[in-house]
Amino acid sequence: MDYAIETNNLSKFYGDVRAVDQVNLRVRYGEIYGFLGLNGAGKTTTIRALLGMVRPSEGNAKLLDQAIGPHGRGPWPRVGHLVESPSAYPELTVRENLDVARRLHQIKDSNIVDEIMEQLAIASYADRKAGALSTGNLQRLGLARALLHNPALLILDEPANGLDPAGVVEIRELLRTLAHERGVTVFMSSHILTEVDRLATRIGIIHKGKLIEELDADKLETLRSLRLEIKARNIHDAYSGLQSAGYKPALQDDMILLEEPRAIEHPDDVAGVLVRAGAPPTHLVMRQQNLEEHFMRFTRS
Amino acid sequence: MRRSKVPLFTTLGFSMIPLMGGLFMIILKDPEAARSMGLISMKAQIAAGTAEWSSLFNLLTQAIAVGGFILFGIVTSWVFGREFSDHTVKELLALPTSREAIVAAKFVVIIVWAVTTSLFVFGFGIVVGYLVNIPGWSMELLRAAFVNIIGSVVLTIMLLPFVALLAGIGRGYLSPIGWMILMVALAQTASFMGWGDWFPWAVPALFASSHKDQIGLHSYMVVIIASLIGFALTFNWWRNADQTR
Repeated sequence: MDYAIETNNLSKFYGDVRAVDQVNLRVRYGEIYGFLGLNGAGKTTTIRALLGMVRPSEGNAKLLDQAIGPHGRGPWPRVGHLVESPSAYPELTVRENLDVARRLHQIKDSNIVDEIMEQLAIASYADRKAGALSTGNLQRLGLARALLHNPALLILDEPANGLDPAGVVEIRELLRTLAHERGVTVFMSSHILTEVDRLATRIGIIHKGKLIEELDADKLETLRSLRLEIKARNIHDAYSGLQSAGYKPALQDDMILLEEPRAIEHPDDVAGVLVRAGAPPTHLVMRQQNLEEHFMRFTRS
Repeated sequence: MRRSKVPLFTTLGFSMIPLMGGLFMIILKDPEAARSMGLISMKAQIAAGTAEWSSLFNLLTQAIAVGGFILFGIVTSWVFGREFSDHTVKELLALPTSREAIVAAKFVVIIVWAVTTSLFVFGFGIVVGYLVNIPGWSMELLRAAFVNIIGSVVLTIMLLPFVALLAGIGRGYLSPIGWMILMVALAQTASFMGWGDWFPWAVPALFASSHKDQIGLHSYMVVIIASLIGFALTFNWWRNADQTR
């Protein structure tokens, strides 16, 4: 199968620091891939390696089935990017900055600048110097530049950074429309886990340079499901009692977790089983997992 | 470049040269008035000689040669260094337009600005000289001065790639400015020791000076070699270096 993004043992070392360590990414066409990690985990370095901005120490990367070669070679007419905080020439206006980008993309139609400004809601700032823009509008300008040439692949580093809540929703809907209606592949890194949770069809978690987990949409859905959390003074008797009653308990640290529908629908029955087993619960709570808890658990361990 | 303040202020700074030259000519023309100014008159005599076209052209030529290196260097440092200081270098990467084309375009802009500004300053100097009404004009003098100025400007431009290279390696303005100061110091030292004709960064000023006879084919060769090395290193750096800004 061809992938929109494919890396093979991609690594980048700075002296002893392994900023990216044997990362094997597979992003399918049309996916929205959420790339999560703590500060300094290696997200931006991975993105820079995908875009040919840094040379890998080991391994390789392919975008849209074309190898990212030396001297920054790659399928750039079909790739849009936004890396770290957006920047623009401060003495040029929004329109002029986008016009520079249009020419660098070798696009002849100058009307495309007006169209993209409308799409990203920065048309009213067209003649304002970029140095006077707010963080949010500078972010919109960066996104406008990434989308200017109708790319097939978007690589975005923190796309909602600096945006107000309305802007976050706007960008989410824009990316969703691009992916679902125009088949654009979106690879985005983010700290805003709730946004990734809502938008991504697949996520990857990078920690200390290594890709430690990838979750597909169905697993993400499972994560969002309800579960019963149980604590008891005698946790082992509680565990055995639940097993004997036909439940499938999972032990996590000092807590027992039950995810089967029988337990979710009748938590009172579970309480009864625990009391009869001589391990009455000290904590019995129905909780919906979210990506944040899952992520924090992975990156703390 | 149209919008930025950097080329504007450097052009204005460069334009001071003919104005200063004109001022010196005025002082030298009227010794009575100059004597009443005292110290200013004495300094003007040492710098420019007598109030005539040959002195003005000498002053213009020397000042453009020396000032040109500093000012062209500042503009080169800005054209390349600002991409790092403003964090816009990543917007020049991962594009259908190659990095080599972008670097070449920057050099073209710098060369066009440098030549245009030098011609402007030279023309302005002629206007100032005409307004001050100094004697000794001849077309031969004009031709010789023009050749000297254009020659030193071309030689100076050929040495700018190292400024561009250091703006990249240093990721900003300061390294190339430090480089320029170092080269001016080394050029002065080389000239003082009689080796100026072999040191590339001393050749433009020697070309514009009264010691032009020291320059030979070997001088042009060292400038050409230094230029080619500078261009090659600059292009190579932009093609291969990791860009983390």
